[in-house]
Amino acid sequence: MPLGRVLRNGTVVVLAVLWLVPTWLLVVNALVPAGDYSGSPHWLPGHVGLFGNMSQAWDKANLGPAFGNSALYATVSAVAAVVVATGAAFATVIMPVKRRVLWFWVIYSGTLLPLQVFIRPLFVSYARSSLYDTQIGLVLIYTAIAVPFAFFVMRNYALTLPREVVEAARMDGASWWRVFWQIHVPLTRSAMIAVFVFQFVAVWNDLMFGITLTTSRNIRPVMAALADLQGNYSNVGPPVVLAGALLVSVPTLVLFVSAQRYFVSSLKIHQ
Amino acid sequence: MAPAVLLVVAFLLAPFVWTIYRSFFSDSRTSPFSWFDNYSRFASDPALTRSVQNTLMWVVGTVLLPFVLGLAIACMTNATRWSRAARLCVVLPYALSGAAVAVVWNFMLTTDGAVNQVLTNLHLGSLAHGWLLTWPGNTIVMILANAWQATGVAVILFLVGLQSIPPETLEAGALDGAGSWQQFRHIVLPQLRPVSIIVIGMSLVNGLKSFDLIWVLTQGGPGRATETLAVSMYNETFLELRPGVGAAIAVVLTVIVLAASWLYLRRQLDVKGE
Repeated sequence: MPLGRVLRNGTVVVLAVLWLVPTWLLVVNALVPAGDYSGSPHWLPGHVGLFGNMSQAWDKANLGPAFGNSALYATVSAVAAVVVATGAAFATVIMPVKRRVLWFWVIYSGTLLPLQVFIRPLFVSYARSSLYDTQIGLVLIYTAIAVPFAFFVMRNYALTLPREVVEAARMDGASWWRVFWQIHVPLTRSAMIAVFVFQFVAVWNDLMFGITLTTSRNIRPVMAALADLQGNYSNVGPPVVLAGALLVSVPTLVLFVSAQRYFVSSLKIHQ
Repeated sequence: MAPAVLLVVAFLLAPFVWTIYRSFFSDSRTSPFSWFDNYSRFASDPALTRSVQNTLMWVVGTVLLPFVLGLAIACMTNATRWSRAARLCVVLPYALSGAAVAVVWNFMLTTDGAVNQVLTNLHLGSLAHGWLLTWPGNTIVMILANAWQATGVAVILFLVGLQSIPPETLEAGALDGAGSWQQFRHIVLPQLRPVSIIVIGMSLVNGLKSFDLIWVLTQGGPGRATETLAVSMYNETFLELRPGVGAAIAVVLTVIVLAASWLYLRRQLDVKGE
């Protein structure tokens, strides 16, 4: 083998091992039964106490209800955002609407601003309007956050569709409503799924709104619960915290592996 | 379209305007109009000066590391089959959330964590220390932790870019006698330009917004040594109860983010939709 290839393969192996170490330690030490943990990290799996740790994390940090909450928030917000954004894209691209550029910027600007700019006014007005610490409040803000980027993607996708189909349908007397649901939505389905996956992960992984807009345990999303568990690091012990981290990552990992095709295409639409 | 506009205006744009407005009022109980007093704290408050420094470090780190590592790994694993497994190792952390990454790295970096354990076993015990306790080391290790997660997406994007390069161009280069480095430099790299701009733009904005990892790992501490602007804003607003200062930080952050976004928006946007 020529030197260049040895060097290259060597580098790849070293990088891969470096990258794998934290993941490996995460899994191995999440497996260690919490009682057996000796104070220093384990490098090889021994007794299997993973499910014990997971159930402890599930109870102690109330990951259980948080899990359900996040599933609800992520699913509902992502679906709502996709539908709303697809509708908006349909309106600004296909329908003859005036001031398209203005509407585009009004909606799209939401994704350019950092979340920090929204958080206190939202906190104050949520506190005043009894949306604070409610599930509907979180669903609303997650949807609002997701819409601008979803709109951007759906609009770019809609621009690539042939206009003739819609024009033909209009000639035949179909209403805009029908054109949207029966022609536009089926045509854009793959992009809609990609956006859904993307936004589901984004909502699932959110921490800031979770810790700001909720306090009670049966409302809080899962990352806020994990942050709490981490705050109890010395009490519950590393295995339980790591098992908790592993547990909350399962849905995104599964989605990532099973929907890889959509993941990659959702990244491609970035371009 | 109406629901989209309503949602965005009510939940995002209105708070944005309110934050700008709020940033001009002081934090005493009656909150009088105070011109740019809140902004002047950037010069007078050492915690904020440190925060700006940290943010700069984060931006440099989050742009350089995922870009260089992502490009290198994508190029090195594009050719051979077995390296798919190696690539998976790098891409996998991308599926973790910021909070989960923080948990993993806390485990690596605490005083009796994995890194110190390895150092002690290698008889380098003198190098072992509390990684998260002293500046600027703590910010640097968090940037590395972030790179551990963020490189995956850069790898994916660069692979997509590499695969869209027509092989004929490489063959033509090889026929003309270009070595592999020359091929990379003069054929591959120019064709990766659009992808590179996206990777840089994404990392830049993500670096500026980084919050989750820092919040869960250190909460901006010890003291306020590891705060970035995003974390400072949260701290000032909700812990120090100085919403005016918090609003000013948010506005400054917004201006920087918008300026940074412009880099890749310029070529990405085709606003007219024709």
